Amino acid sequence: MNLLRPFFVLVLLLLPGLAQAHGPTRQKLTLAVDVAAAPADVWAVIGNFHDMSWHPAVFSTTGEGGNDIDSIRVLTLGQEGGPTITEQLTKYSAEKMSYSYMITEVKVEVLPVTNYSSHLTVTPNAAGGSHIEWRGAFYRGYPNNDPPPELNDEAALAAVTGVYQAGLDALVQRFGQ
Amino acid sequence: MRWSSVSASSALLALALAALPGRAETAYVTNQSSSDLSVIDLGQGREVARVPVPGQPAGLAVAEALGAVFVVSPETKTVSRLALSDHALTGRLTLDGGPIGVAVDETGGRLFVSDWFNARVWVIDAGRLAVTGTLATGAAPAGLALSPDGRFLVTADRDADALTVFDAGTLAPLHRIAVGTRPFGLAFSPDGRVFSADVGSNTVTAADPVTGQVLGKVPTGARPYGIAFAAGRGFVTDQYADTVTVFDAATLAPLATVEVGEYPEGIDTSPDGARVYVANWFSNTLSVIDAASLKVTAEIATGDGPRAFGEFVARGRPTCATC
Repeated sequence: MNLLRPFFVLVLLLLPGLAQAHGPTRQKLTLAVDVAAAPADVWAVIGNFHDMSWHPAVFSTTGEGGNDIDSIRVLTLGQEGGPTITEQLTKYSAEKMSYSYMITEVKVEVLPVTNYSSHLTVTPNAAGGSHIEWRGAFYRGYPNNDPPPELNDEAALAAVTGVYQAGLDALVQRFGQ
Repeated sequence: MRWSSVSASSALLALALAALPGRAETAYVTNQSSSDLSVIDLGQGREVARVPVPGQPAGLAVAEALGAVFVVSPETKTVSRLALSDHALTGRLTLDGGPIGVAVDETGGRLFVSDWFNARVWVIDAGRLAVTGTLATGAAPAGLALSPDGRFLVTADRDADALTVFDAGTLAPLHRIAVGTRPFGLAFSPDGRVFSADVGSNTVTAADPVTGQVLGKVPTGARPYGIAFAAGRGFVTDQYADTVTVFDAATLAPLATVEVGEYPEGIDTSPDGARVYVANWFSNTLSVIDAASLKVTAEIATGDGPRAFGEFVARGRPTCATC
């Protein structure tokens, strides 16, 4: 939970300048980094759906089903007994070094989104290293018109941006740039 | 005398058709993230205009007989009418609620717009852009469609896991049909059956609007969204699988899975049924699928976040003035 706090601080910092959103518009987000390590080495670390230990906000990953479609993982955030996110694998290709998943259960107080789906992909870059791309599609946490500020489109985008950025920053630290 | 009169009018008709602006097979694609409309010449395979439409538009319906495309913007709660000839805005209506999907009754000059938040459909005069009534649906109506013979209006009521069938003439409700989980998009097959894409159960449900009976189900890829029919086949976009599921429209047997762009959503066909067009929301492209070979033959760039939720292809049919 302590590790998640920066995300909420980020959200709060961003809020004053933002307009209120209305209505149900899906948001999309793509964040990417390039690292020095070869794609196979990066995939060896992030390519297992049941090991999210590479992300600094994740305390533990539990669940069954391996990298088979419909496999379920439960991420515990921050510390033992911390908030959880339940996710389901929807696509997996070791060959393409890509997997896709969706959130099946999360409280909007933990991550202010609904109907969240995501892709994580590693591709070779021109320098012999890896290009790591993390993409998300989601709606804001409040499903009706006139959301409270902590559950509007901007809050959803800011929160997911925080999660992706923290994960990608950790991979840059691990693999170099 | 008669003959010459006939041939004279035929010649006039030919001239009139030849003089029509070159919009045979044009796709109008709502780009939700960039708040605009991509006008795509499907013959040339490229975007030929980009028209700003405020309010993050999603639903749309092309109405060639009315010379217009109607676009729904949920953020501003507006319906915009743009001319097919020059894309000029010819009217705008602001609604109170959550407008999302739209279908047009060209003959009756009416629009039907679903209200996601208030379990109803607005009936709107297409000429005056004025609300003339509302129809009660199940919770969270999204997609809506009119039957090919104009007899039925059907809504996909997502949170009711049901379709509502109305008599399109009297607007009386006829049936509430339980389908799969969370139906969102829907379409009629050319023979008049209605099909819903059930997002939550990864199925397509086929139903008979006359009897209100379910006829069968088709398994799809993850998160089916939109449906279209061509060449005796049904085509379904699978949002989370980045594929189009193809099934036999008669037997409902699954036939194939076609890889398209990321997060495929709106789907429509060419007038001759030779091609299927798919808007890929994440990839910002329109995939062109050959309906016979099931190969993707082109990817056309769009604006940001194409949804194209509705009938988005102008088929180049002559308008009623010339037919």
